[in-house]
Amino acid sequence: MIKAAGEDVSATQNERRCFVDQPILVGAVLYDPRVSVIWEIIRDFFETNHCAIDAVFYTNYEIMVRALVQGHLDIAWNSPLAWLDAERQLRGSCRAIAMRDTDRDRVSHIITKTANGLTGIENLRGKTIAVGAKDSPQATLIPLRWLQRQGLEPERDFQVRRFDVLVGKHGDHVGGELQAFQCLDRDEADASALLDLNWERWTRDGTVDPHDYRILSTTPLFDHCCFTVRADFPQEREQEFLRVLFTMRYDDPKHREMMDMEGLKAWVPGRTTGYTLLQEAVEAQHVFDEHPS
Amino acid sequence: MMLSIGVPAPEAVPSQEDLAMEGHTWTLRVCAMGGEQATVFARQHQFRVGAPVNFDRTDGAVSALEYVLGALGSDLVNGLQILARKRRVVIEQLEAVVVGELNNPLTYLGVIGETGHPGMEQVCIRVYLASPEQETTIQRLWQEMLERSPLVHTFQAAIKLELSLQVIV
Repeated sequence: MIKAAGEDVSATQNERRCFVDQPILVGAVLYDPRVSVIWEIIRDFFETNHCAIDAVFYTNYEIMVRALVQGHLDIAWNSPLAWLDAERQLRGSCRAIAMRDTDRDRVSHIITKTANGLTGIENLRGKTIAVGAKDSPQATLIPLRWLQRQGLEPERDFQVRRFDVLVGKHGDHVGGELQAFQCLDRDEADASALLDLNWERWTRDGTVDPHDYRILSTTPLFDHCCFTVRADFPQEREQEFLRVLFTMRYDDPKHREMMDMEGLKAWVPGRTTGYTLLQEAVEAQHVFDEHPS
Repeated sequence: MMLSIGVPAPEAVPSQEDLAMEGHTWTLRVCAMGGEQATVFARQHQFRVGAPVNFDRTDGAVSALEYVLGALGSDLVNGLQILARKRRVVIEQLEAVVVGELNNPLTYLGVIGETGHPGMEQVCIRVYLASPEQETTIQRLWQEMLERSPLVHTFQAAIKLELSLQVIV
């Protein structure tokens, strides 16, 4: 039973108490056991700041979204595709309450080998484009939708070579994306799609030689992951969660390791204005047709 | 008073260690020490053990799984050393690399929807040995060690155990 806000709170003005009897259940999809280490650190951080959370791990986004919809979870750390799925199943009765600064304003690139002489998207007609897993927003859904917007229809105007690695995890890992690039590298495709952050990382660490590859086209901006709650999640619990979340500071040495592991410099309020392109992709590519709400 | 070798004098009181090994059983005590660690007391020795499995490479404690893998590797390495001394075989350098895999580590973490189990699936041990002896001598030593290894016999019945020996000239 949830205690009413204010009960058992000490007289001290600055003291907070956050429903220790019932920790906030936060769901996350786990594709690598090492990611559990990050969640342990986050859990301890929240505990230290008097807001108990318990991390619940799922093997894929479909069952995590179902858990959120059915009320088994309070907060879901959703991929952008999972956000759209939750919004669809809850008929809009949900909120995106927070995200990483790095989840905002991302782009994906369609890259090609410099030597093959392709100069623009129109040159992709009749060619093969390697993409990530079928449910990867950044490496498949959004790039293909971007090409559709330019009048290039997959399988009609160009061939798609897809790498369905760990389907269900929405491309969280980079397996499919990396395999798509490797396909291009082997000249088995004429172009491949990848997230801008991976282009930056791979040109830095030598995976991609920036002299041999170039960006052919870049998608419009889109947003990525967000913490999602149902509309009926109590506001006071949400505010308590956000209060603690937003106390993380990149310039605090105690927080930096945790934030580096999570890939952010700041937590920011959630927004959904950056999901338009993905929403178009979902509709155009009939992503949820197999799973009607 | 002449005694048969191996028979303790009647007035000797068996030690805890003797009692622990009586009937060919080994009894250890394992005590929780807080901080999600335990101390193992084995005869007059003790050692600390961390979590059953740990995915944090910076964690300060040796996990239970690492102890098991270390025990397997040590069984081979020390088994060879002990036999080499008995057979008067010269070994100049000896070490092993142990690589273990779980069936599905995500089940240990309780990931909903995962299948499989958190148990060990496979262990590969490669032993590197430098010796001036003939290769046939070393191979005979290796085979004898395997035949007499308690942990090899235990684990090969349960998991995939790949053991190999590389003799370095």
